[in-house]
Amino acid sequence: MSERVDGDPAFVLHTRPWRETSLIVDIFSRHHGRLGLVARGARRAGAAVKARLIPFQPLTLSWFGRGQLRTLHAAEWQGGGLMLRGHALMCGFYLNELLLRLLPEGDAHETLFDHYTLALADLNSRPEVEPVLRRFELDLLTELGYAQSLGHLASGGVIDPEARYGYEIGAGVIPPNRAAGYSGRALLALAAGDFSQPNTLAEGKLLMRALLAHYLGDKPLATRQLLIDLQRL
Amino acid sequence: MPLPGSLETLIDALRALPGVGPKSAARMAYHLLQRDRNGAARLAAGLTHALDKLHHCQRCNNFSETPVCDTCASPRRDARQLCVVEMPTDLNRLEETQAYKGLYFVLMGRLSPLDGIGPREIGLERLIERARDGVTEEVILATNFTAEGEATAHYASELLKARGLKVTRIARGLPAGGELEHVDGMTIAQALLDRRPA
Repeated sequence: MSERVDGDPAFVLHTRPWRETSLIVDIFSRHHGRLGLVARGARRAGAAVKARLIPFQPLTLSWFGRGQLRTLHAAEWQGGGLMLRGHALMCGFYLNELLLRLLPEGDAHETLFDHYTLALADLNSRPEVEPVLRRFELDLLTELGYAQSLGHLASGGVIDPEARYGYEIGAGVIPPNRAAGYSGRALLALAAGDFSQPNTLAEGKLLMRALLAHYLGDKPLATRQLLIDLQRL
Repeated sequence: MPLPGSLETLIDALRALPGVGPKSAARMAYHLLQRDRNGAARLAAGLTHALDKLHHCQRCNNFSETPVCDTCASPRRDARQLCVVEMPTDLNRLEETQAYKGLYFVLMGRLSPLDGIGPREIGLERLIERARDGVTEEVILATNFTAEGEATAHYASELLKARGLKVTRIARGLPAGGELEHVDGMTIAQALLDRRPA
């Protein structure tokens, strides 16, 4: 059955040229999740819609069709979101790459949509990007069911802030093993969404990286590789 | 019925063009062979000639038949200014304005993280080398105001400033003759953000 969606709040994650004059637009919408839309004629000279189909801007999008043939027919800018700049812009690309790689197509994730909206606003306004990135990584993994609670042991036991723990993918926090990598204090802070301590950020980064590496598979993140390459110049 | 081998090869070759799929490629091939054999011969000769003669200018990275292109070699250009653009078509647009007398550097692309296009795929390293010729006083970044163009400008700026160069970015805001009533909201928002002392 063909669907018709009018004015769903959405962000553009990525666009790529399609055929002579069109674009394929990967979007993250509030009520329909990640989808690919065809913006017909968007690359024609004078097509006003192209200037609106840029990442990180709050839009409302309307489309019709089904499967691979969904066609964008209207895009309105909602105002307020200014273009990310500098390093924050690269962090925005990183968030988009995570969504493109991990979000299944067509599943609505409204809570995650709110987290993403907030993360973009924070990238725009805060000097420190690391807490924003860690929070979003954890939100994303939790929303997709890939991160178990960090507030208690997988067995249900209480986490001691002074002890160290391991993390088993699919199970959760486990008693110290050979590679006991995370302090109880950092795990409890992550579970509470408190990123104020440097150690929480450092250990959170290690944990998120391990989890993301597992779920992303062999293909490395292009945004991370690009930053490594830039540092060599 | 299988196609003759040479026809199949031609159709396949035409698919190298951007936006051309198998159907368009077949249509082009039949058109060239049936309706415009002279055009086909010119196309073949033109391609061979261009491939043979055109290289990247040692200075600006644009296409050139000589090691250094006419623009870079011209004594009438102001060698103290170096304007960085993404593509040769962007350079042509700037030249049409006759508003700029300096030199250029063409990146031949933009950083595009989600397409795997990084500094190695565009001429960032060559730009750094070019800008450090001792004559350049100002590098003007004229990449597009897209997310990718902005990212390119940001990192080019960081790399060049770290080497002691003065770097500027072209202004963005209302178009010439622009009236607030008719300009899109995003442009107005950016124009407000990028306002300057009057």
